[in-house]
Amino acid sequence: MKIIQNYIYRFIFLLTLITSSFSSNSIEVIEILGGKASQIPIAITPFNEEIKNIDLEKMHKVIANDLERSGLFTSLDTSGISTIPDSDMLINFSNWSALQAQFLVVGKIITIQNKLTTRWSLIDIYKEKTVLSMEFSGSKKQYRAIAHNISDLVYKKLTGSPGVFHTRITFVKKKSEKIYGLYVSDYDGFNQRAIVNSSQPIISPRWSPDGKKIAYVSFEKKKPVIYVQDLTTGKRVLVANFKGNNSAPAWSPDSKKLAIVLTYSANSQIYIINSDGSGIKQLMRTRSINTEPAWSPDGKEIFFSSDRGGNPQIYKVNVEGVSDVNRVTFEGKGNLSPSLSPDGKLLLFLTQDNGKFRVAVQNLSTNQVLKLTKGPHDESPIFSPNGHMILFTYKDYGKTTKIGTVSVNGLKVTPLRVGSEAILESSWGPITNN
Amino acid sequence: MIFKKLSNAMIISKLQDNYELQANLFSFVIHFGLFIFMLVSIQWQMKDVYYSEIELWDAMPMQIKSQPVANKKKSADLKKSIPKPIEKQKRLKINEEAEIKLKKRKEKKAKIKKIQKQALKQEKLEQLQKKLLEQEKLEQLQKKLLEQEKLEGIQKKILEQDKLDKLKESILDQEIKKEARIAIEGDQEVFAGSNTGELDKFKAMIQQKIYQNVNKQLCGGDLVELEFEIQLMPTGELLGEPKLIQSSKIESCDQALERAILQSQPLPVPKDVKLFSRLKKLKLMFQPNAYTE
Repeated sequence: MKIIQNYIYRFIFLLTLITSSFSSNSIEVIEILGGKASQIPIAITPFNEEIKNIDLEKMHKVIANDLERSGLFTSLDTSGISTIPDSDMLINFSNWSALQAQFLVVGKIITIQNKLTTRWSLIDIYKEKTVLSMEFSGSKKQYRAIAHNISDLVYKKLTGSPGVFHTRITFVKKKSEKIYGLYVSDYDGFNQRAIVNSSQPIISPRWSPDGKKIAYVSFEKKKPVIYVQDLTTGKRVLVANFKGNNSAPAWSPDSKKLAIVLTYSANSQIYIINSDGSGIKQLMRTRSINTEPAWSPDGKEIFFSSDRGGNPQIYKVNVEGVSDVNRVTFEGKGNLSPSLSPDGKLLLFLTQDNGKFRVAVQNLSTNQVLKLTKGPHDESPIFSPNGHMILFTYKDYGKTTKIGTVSVNGLKVTPLRVGSEAILESSWGPITNN
Repeated sequence: MIFKKLSNAMIISKLQDNYELQANLFSFVIHFGLFIFMLVSIQWQMKDVYYSEIELWDAMPMQIKSQPVANKKKSADLKKSIPKPIEKQKRLKINEEAEIKLKKRKEKKAKIKKIQKQALKQEKLEQLQKKLLEQEKLEQLQKKLLEQEKLEGIQKKILEQDKLDKLKESILDQEIKKEARIAIEGDQEVFAGSNTGELDKFKAMIQQKIYQNVNKQLCGGDLVELEFEIQLMPTGELLGEPKLIQSSKIESCDQALERAILQSQPLPVPKDVKLFSRLKKLKLMFQPNAYTE
């Protein structure tokens, strides 16, 4: 009897174990709220080159500079690694994980006559697998372009956003007291090319969203007038030459219209005009100054700066309805030069802060403001086509104006190498499929 | 008289016939009488000797204060009881005065000596008391030492018992682990649940370690939510890859958080088997753009 009882107890114990295991099958949950604005550590090894071009910046350095400029990556020094791989085979993962690298870029450049062939790979160190492996070919002149393309693909793969390293920018350079030039270059200032030369100042260049035209203000008619120049043909159209000043052109998202500022009737007022100069109409009529228009990405609103509140602040108005004007910025003594991020979520502007002009962004849903630069004389800020960087001009006290980029997280400010001349104003071209 | 008394006794009457005994008793009595006589005759002789000594003292009056005289206490005492000749009364008077002085001095000295002796005795007593006290202290110390030794011994025993208990516990744990594995694979949760504080501590440590590696920059600007499931090894390393349960719908964000989990290896896990069984499978919920400050 005792033996039977013992077995019964054992059976009951097992049964309770099993039932409780089913009933308490809940997994422990850990909630992780928030995160850090950190950078992805990436190791970009020197590419194995058969013929080395001494004059050129090495491909791995171009890629590293591209990725670092975005503020989302930190490029690791690979000089301590004895054997540098040139393909995704035979990777010593422990070496790279010891370097704290999350990703690795390796490559090889084969030069046959005037043709470059680059084989490269992006490797995930944690997962120990190849993420991307590609081959690009081009002429020797396309050395940097190939590097930018690799940067774009790495960027797209790891951030989910398109890279802007193949895009172009435009800026005005003051060559001398009486020679001004409107230039187009790669986004990093390389491969400059003048598209307009003038004895009179040129200001407010704006690249059309389709990438085909540039609108700018020229003083060649002894007063500011607005031109639109076709980049492929080089032909230009005088879009606005009305009585008074014609300034601050802003392209509509569809590249068909321009918002411009005229002093036609009295003080500065915003008008909308077709890009060929036809169909002008006034956006609104007020006694205060309204200037520096910027379109929202959906084309329904125009943001502008106005002194209607006593000091310059940024307001917005509906393009069609026109009735309601809403103030957008409230912080600081003055805010001006608005423009919007490609997704329309961030407002970029210059903020007046203790006598300094600094680049700032405001989250339009939370109204949080983040000041990105220190000043003191920052000007003409504009978003990169992916909204991750900002191009702007800056000047220290008594020095010439320069041009640079700042990452939208404010972590990385990088000057562009465009020469020693003063840079007046700049604009960023769109992403083009080339 | 004695003889008469003895002769009157019954014993003598009984021994009248026994001549030997009579002779012996007679000789004994004679000897006893002679002994008594001898004792009395010696006393008379002693007095003559004392006289001669006193005369010698008179011849040397100046030496009264001398130490040898002072030391002869018995002879001086005897002088009082001895009759003194009339011719030498004056000298005797002087001698008496000297003797009185001597006596006084002697008495003083004796008193001093007595006091000294008493003092010495007191000192000795005090010393003895001190010694006794010291001895008592020593004894107490010895007792304490003994007690300490005993305590140490007890402590050692306790420690040894603890060690043994721990060993037993670890053995039991191992046994439980084996049993649980055999009984229901992967369901050791049943044994846990009592130590929620420790559990929360390790959960917080895991949360903090992963948080340090979350790069919210790759998750856009909207409030996104993600959910991963992970399985841990007792070393804190991941068993397999993190399993994405709920995506943020931003590939870079999903990947960034997966990397954050992978980067956090090894995760802090408890050594205790019961606790670890609660943490070996975890659900991680992320809100990278949540405002936390």
